[in-house]
Amino acid sequence: MTTLIKLEIIRALRNKKFMFFSVIYPPALYLIIAGGADSKPIPGTGLNMGLYYMVSMAAFGAMTAVLLGNSERIAKEREQGWVRQLRLTALPGRGYVAAKIAAAATVSLPSILLVMIAAATVKGVRLEAWQWIAIAVGTWLGSFVFAALGVAIGYLASGDAVRPISMLCFFALAFLGGLWMPMTLLPQWVQNISEWLPTHAYAALGTAVEAGGAPHVKDMAILLGYLLLFVGGAAWLYRKDTRKA
Amino acid sequence: MTTTATTTATTAQDAGRAPVVSFQGVSKSYGAVRAVADLHLELHPGETVALLGPNGAGKSSTLDLLLGLRTPDTGSVSLFGTTPQRAIQQGKVGAMLQSGGLMEGVKVRELVQLARDLHPQGYPVDQILANAGITDIADRLVGKLSGGQEQRVRFALATAGANDLIVLDEPTTGMDVSSRQTFWGAMRRQAQEGRTVLFATHYLEEADEIADRVIVLHRGRVLADGTSAEIKARAGARRINFDLTEPADRAALEALPHLTALTVSASGSGSTVRIQSQDADATVHALYGLGLYPRNLEVSGLGLEQAFIAITTAEEAAR
Repeated sequence: MTTLIKLEIIRALRNKKFMFFSVIYPPALYLIIAGGADSKPIPGTGLNMGLYYMVSMAAFGAMTAVLLGNSERIAKEREQGWVRQLRLTALPGRGYVAAKIAAAATVSLPSILLVMIAAATVKGVRLEAWQWIAIAVGTWLGSFVFAALGVAIGYLASGDAVRPISMLCFFALAFLGGLWMPMTLLPQWVQNISEWLPTHAYAALGTAVEAGGAPHVKDMAILLGYLLLFVGGAAWLYRKDTRKA
Repeated sequence: MTTTATTTATTAQDAGRAPVVSFQGVSKSYGAVRAVADLHLELHPGETVALLGPNGAGKSSTLDLLLGLRTPDTGSVSLFGTTPQRAIQQGKVGAMLQSGGLMEGVKVRELVQLARDLHPQGYPVDQILANAGITDIADRLVGKLSGGQEQRVRFALATAGANDLIVLDEPTTGMDVSSRQTFWGAMRRQAQEGRTVLFATHYLEEADEIADRVIVLHRGRVLADGTSAEIKARAGARRINFDLTEPADRAALEALPHLTALTVSASGSGSTVRIQSQDADATVHALYGLGLYPRNLEVSGLGLEQAFIAITTAEEAAR
């Protein structure tokens, strides 16, 4: 199982094109969106645009890399029959999902760090050392939830359906979770839904730290719940996959 | 048929005597297509078995069911007296699928290392590589291999540990003649070590040459099951060729006993006769009884291929 995790990481690192775009995309997006913003606080958050978007773009970028990347690659691997071959080994379902999450985490960590570097150097975001570390680690660990979701989608759909489905999940989650614009700017009913989405809880980890506090237990519990749900679902789908993709 | 199912107490001894593979009345359909129809099948330890049939005969479906990659609509499949999944988890089964893609972006050695580490009783990597004849390509990337090389890598993955059963779906597809010979050499070593080997093929000479038991599959059912000699015999599998100095009396020849096929062609003033017979001795005896004097008489066995064609066409005709 550790060999598979190691191999998935090596393989992700070797895929230079994929690495480059996945890593470069979030900081670029951050600079485009937050680049022209002033330092006035966003109503209801107490954070300014540079700060707010640092967390949401780090989260958004990490999620893009792991969710879209994972689902498409897995669907492709199923089509090629590699997963069938893998199922003829003693590898348990959770081992497969763990390896995929590890591979995704390899991609998401540098992209998170780059967003933070861009925020610090270009936008002049200043935080305490513990805040930087807490945000980086929290955002990174939170990306595992979406990596697991990516694995599950890669299993639920196949072929041409993967991209539309993962895109739909992705945009809905990103928008409704408030990654694109601050939650407080959205209508109340959206906010009500949002509160229970993994994306909202995900970004909330970082914003809570930015505001100087610890992440809320509720947000962590929500993320953990989704993680268990997605990992369990993905592992189950891996074992149950009897379709000839 | 063994009657192990009737015993209620499952002792360790019983488990040892359980067939390696057991299909009990297994059926599987995909929509309206019946891929496997009421299949009964048992493989015993140490056998090398060829699953023979044309494309669409249900070979791959049968292997998928055997490996637990699909679940049967009716009936049951067991390996070593347990479920396919459990047998695989225990590291008893090595398999090479026809559609078994490989992980891309990794080197051959890394992939073999993975297969070895995932196996409960894996062999040393260098030994696996050498056995599959891929030591020289160990540092190549998996995506950059030829079809034949890929097949050998798949074989390495299937033989990465101490399996009791090895299942191969059309293993030599894409290999040239010499790598095919090397491949079967490696395969024979597996069989000599006492493993049960099951391979699907439509290369009939492979079944004839390598297997000690041949199961002919047609439309998802077992059409014939026996040694390749028996399969050939069942298909009326002796060929009798001779020349006559005079034009042949076709009607008289057709009346020969045990005859299954007859072709007569004119050659010079005489004729050349080709006969297929289920009992060559009786046919030749009757031939002399007609008062004919066959020249250049040859009696030879049919290749498995012709036997196979004969069985399947007989089956078609019976429908």
